[in-house]
Amino acid sequence: MRKDKNKDKDKDKDKDENYKLFGLSAGEYKNISKLIGHVPDDFELGIFSAMWSEHCSYKSSKIYLKTLPTEGEKVLIGPGENAGAVDFGNGDVLVFKMESHNHPSFIEPFEGSATGVGGIMRDIFTMGARPVANLNSLRFGSFSEPRTPYYLSEVVKGVGFYGNCMGVPTVGGEVVFDGCYNDNILVNAFTIGIAKKDGIFLSSKCEVGNIVVYVGSSTGMDGIHGATMASEEFDLKKNKRRSTVQVGDPFTEKLLLEACLESMNKKLIVSIQDMGAAGLTSSSFEMADKSGHGMLIDLDTIPLRTPGMTPIEIMLSESQERMLLACDGKNFARLADVFDKWGLNCVKVGEVIEEKAIKFYRNSKFYKSLGVDAVVNGPVYDRPKVKPGYLKKIFSVNMRGYKIPANLNNAAKKIIAHPNIASKRPVFTQYDYTIGTSTVVPPGFSAAVVRVKSGGKTKTGRKCDKGFLLDVNGNSKYTYLNPYIGGALAVVESARNISACGGTPVAVTDCLNFASPEDPEIMWQFSEAVKGIKDAAKKLGTPVISGNVSFYNETSKKEAGKTVISKIYPTPVIGMVGFIDDVSRAATPYFKDAGDGIYLLGRLKGDLGGSLYMECINKDSYQKPADIDLDYEVWLQNCLRSLILGGYIKSAADISEGGIFTALAESSITNPGETLGFDIGLNWDVMDARPDEFLFSEFEQAFVVTVGKGAGGRREAEMDKILIEHKVHMKKLGEVKKGIMKINGIINLKSDKIKEEYYSVIKNILI
Amino acid sequence: MKNNNINAGITVFPGSNCDFDVYRVLTDIFNVNASFLWHKDKIKNIKKYDFIVIPGGFSYGDYLRSGALAARSAVMESLKGYADKGGIILGICNGFQILLEAGLLDGVMLPNASLKFECKDVYLNVIKSDTPFTCAARKGSVLKMPIAHHDGNYFATKGIIDGLRRNDRIIFKYCDSKGEFTGDSNPNGSLFNIAGISNKNLNVMGLMPHPERSSEKLLGSGDGGYIFKSIIKYVKER
Repeated sequence: MRKDKNKDKDKDKDKDENYKLFGLSAGEYKNISKLIGHVPDDFELGIFSAMWSEHCSYKSSKIYLKTLPTEGEKVLIGPGENAGAVDFGNGDVLVFKMESHNHPSFIEPFEGSATGVGGIMRDIFTMGARPVANLNSLRFGSFSEPRTPYYLSEVVKGVGFYGNCMGVPTVGGEVVFDGCYNDNILVNAFTIGIAKKDGIFLSSKCEVGNIVVYVGSSTGMDGIHGATMASEEFDLKKNKRRSTVQVGDPFTEKLLLEACLESMNKKLIVSIQDMGAAGLTSSSFEMADKSGHGMLIDLDTIPLRTPGMTPIEIMLSESQERMLLACDGKNFARLADVFDKWGLNCVKVGEVIEEKAIKFYRNSKFYKSLGVDAVVNGPVYDRPKVKPGYLKKIFSVNMRGYKIPANLNNAAKKIIAHPNIASKRPVFTQYDYTIGTSTVVPPGFSAAVVRVKSGGKTKTGRKCDKGFLLDVNGNSKYTYLNPYIGGALAVVESARNISACGGTPVAVTDCLNFASPEDPEIMWQFSEAVKGIKDAAKKLGTPVISGNVSFYNETSKKEAGKTVISKIYPTPVIGMVGFIDDVSRAATPYFKDAGDGIYLLGRLKGDLGGSLYMECINKDSYQKPADIDLDYEVWLQNCLRSLILGGYIKSAADISEGGIFTALAESSITNPGETLGFDIGLNWDVMDARPDEFLFSEFEQAFVVTVGKGAGGRREAEMDKILIEHKVHMKKLGEVKKGIMKINGIINLKSDKIKEEYYSVIKNILI
Repeated sequence: MKNNNINAGITVFPGSNCDFDVYRVLTDIFNVNASFLWHKDKIKNIKKYDFIVIPGGFSYGDYLRSGALAARSAVMESLKGYADKGGIILGICNGFQILLEAGLLDGVMLPNASLKFECKDVYLNVIKSDTPFTCAARKGSVLKMPIAHHDGNYFATKGIIDGLRRNDRIIFKYCDSKGEFTGDSNPNGSLFNIAGISNKNLNVMGLMPHPERSSEKLLGSGDGGYIFKSIIKYVKER
């Protein structure tokens, strides 16, 4: 008897704690009950848990994201829509966003990365923009970790599989290796599209009386949230072998792209939202919320891939290649014709209503109703934060404790062969980067340069095309050592890469990848990194117009019998867009001709704190990175741009990871034609820095540039004027040579040998 | 005959993705009249087209085999008749694969020897210059164009290869920048470095590299333009 009583009690407790299976907290559960006036059932819990999840609600990050600059002269649409948009002139608009797909990519790297790319492209064409370029930022575990070749190869194949089939060129990106990603790889995907100013579509334009239409693939059991899958309403036996990772079909998405753009062109769509995270749930509630209305949704009409799916399964499925849209009833037949032409579903599933609620129908009867405000206005947290203890042990570097290596040639070779420096060309060649006939500067150089046929003319009357420049950048190690500097530097470094091509930075999107926000130390890292991004973005005049946050990039695992939590370094990644009026003026970083003068533009600090050199050579990577002078950065980049666009310099490479040696070496060996080199004559007696500080310091605000031999007299005077105007110094270092790399007394290498190392490291681990 | 009196057709299958690129190059750079031919349609009055391009892409998502489903579409029925009557057809990349699957050209495409998608610039040696596709180029000249494919490893039985060689139907071969047929310059493992072949009557050619992506110096090479210039020259002089 007593036993039975206990059993009943347990059962009640199970029911009470059902919310935990949905990933909700006790407080959130209470709040939901209060909002809807009764104890939520599993359907309601499922909807709330999806919309109140960190991923959909930004509940831990919202108060910080609000501090970012989002407005600017060129900004047309800031955060909040499917993607941000900037004015590109002549009625053209560029729409772009970056998004993470980290967790799925770790579980199933091929499908995870592929659907990450598919998802971000959908965000772009939902807005009426044709995607014209993709980039990505990929992070894998250490190079020696046995799983790294598998993850790298599968992710690269997945990214290529989706982008190549869609016919959108992947024009650049970064690939980084670090032990902190051994158990949490990162896949951040960026897409930019182009639209006409009057052809932008939003999710906020639904009008009462519009019909709600479902287009694209049918809804299946894939991608249903793991937490909800464990709830009682699901038949576990039925689901257990299904993946929580979505499976992508780029062919269907290509058809969806063409069908959507054709319908938009024919003005058959009023408002549209893609079905991404939390599928039909987020698309219906968000469209209703942004438009200030509600919807009727008839669950019987949703096209299903798996017969007999329950209402909550239908609502939470993350099957790919689907969209929800609102259209004027009188246009539905024409809309259906377009989708029929492309062989896709186009089904009327509901109606826009005045009442701010989503009313569900099932088996031809009223099923449930949920208030839009309650579901959409999730909790907002100001989580506790505390400066991490490890930072107390991080100081500026003191080189007195480290000897200068007897043979700096060996150190130089080691740096060039480091997987984070070595060429990523074997990765880029698996992406179609030439489709679209617009890639002017392909992946592997400073920034990608993409032209847009504009039929413009230069001042001298020559025909020219305008273009945009793209770069993604982030350095998690710096961010770990100083989150503020890391955040700021991600913005600055992207801008440097764009300026080094002659482009003007315009706006950014960000992907903020962090461990658990419930850990106060992580929350502190997050707040500092956002502050860094904010300050740099303000100073450089590049507002943050879209982005996403990915928390919980951590994994608990057993190590020597103990449970340890493996957390990633804080990894803010910036995707930046810049403009250039005439793409034929874009600069590339590689040396052009032997005999050209090599110059240093900017200033060297010679601070090795946190550098790759300290990690590789002195096996000590935990020092404070040098500070950054944002005012000087703006002068320097403006100066460089003026020199490039004025035609004064022939190449420009920024000094970052691996220091000036790496900048010089890369400039020598990435020339697509002949292998060049350099001869640098330095007088060490008058230098402030040690040779290793000079060669490998990476926190520099400087560029390596080259000037043609003939540039004497008047040209030199003009250059001087530009330098003085921007308060920037330029100092001659040496000359471009053929085949050798020589720095007075410390470096003497053959370019061919370095080139071979540089191009073979990544190739050798790709499967 | 002016260029804008020349009519070009460009096939569009679900999954074609180089159709716009070919269209842009033909109309913007070469001033030719171009229009799209939808896969479900049997083309009426196909005679009005001076030449037809089957562009690259992933027709039907590469389901079954690259080009296999497109080869059985309505528009390809029309193109077979067009080819029989001497119509000029250029198949690029997936277009080449479709021509093979449709039996308009001989041989098959295997996955690249690397088993990876390969996107990079390659050099092509013009093996035969007296064709509608190469008459504006010199025999033995070296052209730079990009490839972008996963299945471009040309293979055929000995009998077919002998036939191609005997009848001078190998039009392009991969080579290095000096025109030599080295192993390193073969990007996908194709037999005898074959990059482009034609049918017996020399009016149908398949080519793996993309001439439309290399018709402007701004994009790294203008050499692909020779193919379109050749076709236009041939049509005008016909």
